Amino acid sequence: MVYITEAHPSDIWQMQSNIKDQVVFATPKNEEERAAVAGSCVRKLGIKIPALLDEFGNSTESAYTGWPDRMYLIDAAGHVAYKSKPGPFGFKSEELKAAIERIVPTH
Amino acid sequence: MLPYNSSNPGLLTSRMTATKLTAIKQFATNPAVSKTVIATCILLAVLWVLGCGALYRIMLRPPEAFAGFMAKLPGPVPFLLFPFETLWMRARSGTLHPGDPAPDFSLAKLDKTAHVQLSTFSAQQRPVVLIFGSYT
Repeated sequence: MVYITEAHPSDIWQMQSNIKDQVVFATPKNEEERAAVAGSCVRKLGIKIPALLDEFGNSTESAYTGWPDRMYLIDAAGHVAYKSKPGPFGFKSEELKAAIERIVPTH
Repeated sequence: MLPYNSSNPGLLTSRMTATKLTAIKQFATNPAVSKTVIATCILLAVLWVLGCGALYRIMLRPPEAFAGFMAKLPGPVPFLLFPFETLWMRARSGTLHPGDPAPDFSLAKLDKTAHVQLSTFSAQQRPVVLIFGSYT
């Protein structure tokens, strides 16, 4: 997971669903604050996959157009094998699963 | 005044309906009225297209600027009035395409134990899944 800039921070574009789910965070002011929110996310949601923090200038998010959420599969040669459509509408895990099955031989 | 026909009580009502219909027909076929209706439809269509264009341009702006703008609009308006999803899919399509080399990055792990550089995976011939997202 690449943790990027918030989608719906409380001070910019708060959603009712954030309040309902008690996921209310203001925009992080620096990299440490972003790391703190990311840490809550990983703990509360029980995320087990390795989590990386995009640097505060959002360079990785920009290079990959990752906001608000998006999935990629990079093949063994380092090329884009699958790129999802932009979230939230385009975030479809079954598409990623199919892409993985295409490039990773089943045992 | 129409004579009341006790054997057919519906006659009065149907005659009134017919009179109303004739009035509506005359109103609608009045050239001045139909011109106004057409002009209004064209104006609304032009406004809608301009609105779509404006929303699309805002979607192209950096995430924070886009989110700040959306927060100012009343809740469901942009979603109900405009083809939001279609515009979003296009505006956020990005520059990378399948087959392109994945831009390299080196980012810190959340637990701060190490930095991870993407290109080290391809150096070991290993595929990688990247999932971008945030808590909110």
